[in-house]
Amino acid sequence: MSLDREFSEDGSELTIFLEEKFDFGKVQDFRLAYSEGNETVTSIVINLQKTEYMDSSALGMLLNMQKSLSDTVKSFKITHCRPQVLKILQIARFDKKFLIV
Amino acid sequence: MRILVVDDDTLSRFLLVHMLEQQGYLDTFEAEDGMVAIELAKRIKPDLVLLDIVMPEMDGFEVATQLKKLAGDIYLPIIFITALDDEKSLARCLEVGGDDFVAKPFDKVILAAKIRAHVRTRLLSKKTFEQNKQLTFYRNAIEREHKIVEHIFANALSVNKSFTRYLDYCLNPASDFNGDLFIASASPTGGMYFLIGDFTGHGLASAIGALPVSQAFQAMSRKGLSLMEMAETINQTLLMLLPDDMFFAAALVEISHTGKQVDIWNGGMPSLLLQDQNGKIVKRFDSRHMALGILESHEFEADVERYEMQFGDRLVAFSDGIVELENDEGQMLGNEGIETWLLAQPNMNVEGIIDKAKEYLGSRQRKDDVTVIIFTSQPLEQVTNKGVASKIPLKMVLELDAKHIKSSDPVVDLVSVITNQLSLYGVHSELFTVLSELYNNALEHGVLELDSELKQSDSGFFAYFKLREEKLSSLEAASIVISAEYLPDENALAIQIKDSGKGFKQQHMSELENLEKSYGRGISLVKELCESVEYTNKGNTVDVVFKI
Repeated sequence: MSLDREFSEDGSELTIFLEEKFDFGKVQDFRLAYSEGNETVTSIVINLQKTEYMDSSALGMLLNMQKSLSDTVKSFKITHCRPQVLKILQIARFDKKFLIV
Repeated sequence: MRILVVDDDTLSRFLLVHMLEQQGYLDTFEAEDGMVAIELAKRIKPDLVLLDIVMPEMDGFEVATQLKKLAGDIYLPIIFITALDDEKSLARCLEVGGDDFVAKPFDKVILAAKIRAHVRTRLLSKKTFEQNKQLTFYRNAIEREHKIVEHIFANALSVNKSFTRYLDYCLNPASDFNGDLFIASASPTGGMYFLIGDFTGHGLASAIGALPVSQAFQAMSRKGLSLMEMAETINQTLLMLLPDDMFFAAALVEISHTGKQVDIWNGGMPSLLLQDQNGKIVKRFDSRHMALGILESHEFEADVERYEMQFGDRLVAFSDGIVELENDEGQMLGNEGIETWLLAQPNMNVEGIIDKAKEYLGSRQRKDDVTVIIFTSQPLEQVTNKGVASKIPLKMVLELDAKHIKSSDPVVDLVSVITNQLSLYGVHSELFTVLSELYNNALEHGVLELDSELKQSDSGFFAYFKLREEKLSSLEAASIVISAEYLPDENALAIQIKDSGKGFKQQHMSELENLEKSYGRGISLVKELCESVEYTNKGNTVDVVFKI
């Protein structure tokens, strides 16, 4: 099942909504979600409000996304983390690469 | 229709009974004097009495008084049959409680008509009496039921005392039962949740939905679920339970353990106001969703607003019962009205708001339930919602063969078994990360012999997962054994995962600080989350201790 996405009105911001589990099983869906129809996108928001479970492959996927879009996308944000998921992002020092709000 | 004929004259009685038979009244009794009449009446409970006045021993007037007393609340028609024709005697007939009189010798037609008329009234009276009895019965039954329900509600919906330090609140129902709902609960991660809501209508019918909502809310709070999931679950529950014309406007609020970060899901409630220390309204959390219990799950949207408060900021929530208050001029208070009060007096507490509301209402009667809640941002110390840890050492072993490995992803299942069994909801995400890393290492590097180096480039990253799938689908003989042992004394989980692979070289761990590499972070994460991590047996066995 593909992931929910939302574009801002001017098409510059793309929000991707992850599901309860964010792990290697989402590799294809996640890549599609950030790479399809992203010509106008300069800012990406990863909404983790549903996400309870996350592992290092998810972290890898996030970094991969950032690498592959670094030419066009200037801002990467991770929003609405559950407290425990936030802890994992902090342990992995993701606040250095992503704006976590 | 049972008729009692009282006359000391045998002939008179005979004539009357005969006349009654002709009119179709066959259930007749006779008494030759007053005493007999009263005794008989006690036994047979007549519907109508034909009564002579002049009798030896006890006269008709006395008999009438006593018979009326016996009849109680139900109308017992008494018709005097009398040879007396002076005005005084006739008047007395009615004064002592008689209902009519007929002169002797009686006119059959007139008497029969009078009997019919009084019988009608008697039947009416009996019916009213029965109905009254039923009404009283129902009223008592309802009162009793209300008492029981009130008791249940008071217990189910009481707000835990440990929150009163952080939350100032008041619920003010318009009738015995409250269509408004306020519940608060701690989360397992040290934060707290609360819910303010308003069912359509008020009174018992609207209060009844509060029970399932509160049960679901408490259960989900214990597990530390997201507001999104809570809103979805409550919506689903109410959709199933409530009739179509009833729904539940509600705002769900989660305060993080810092006491500053607030998440809000508002469906159909008045805007929640955020007031800074100077009293300025710095943010309004407007209703962004439809009330709960209306939308089907595929139409339902649950996105949540997040805000970072400063200590001392106040989050003010209220039900529309206060917004829609009308003053003597019929003018509604509105959100603006409440904001004006808060601006004029920045530290106005809930009691102050309620007093203001009373003042505003003037002589008018309040129509709806009123609820006001104020949360003041501050460090949360006392709230926790940890399950009671078991004292029994517990060990779970999962032996997976190739078939299981191919067809399932056991990690989430295992996490939910462990967290449910040991009430460890506060750590379920961390536990997942640890188990997922260890299991995937055992599977990918142990059993499937994949090399992480592949993941170095973007395309390699995906090639790796493709290869993983291919190798997995052709897997024939393999085993992975996961054991998790709960150590009550250390308050820890000892987890061991063993795989049947050839063993893999202890990979050089990339530092967590190295954010350039999109792989190799797994074991470092596990090390951060666990007290100890040890690989033995050529990397086929890993043992970790996870502190709870």
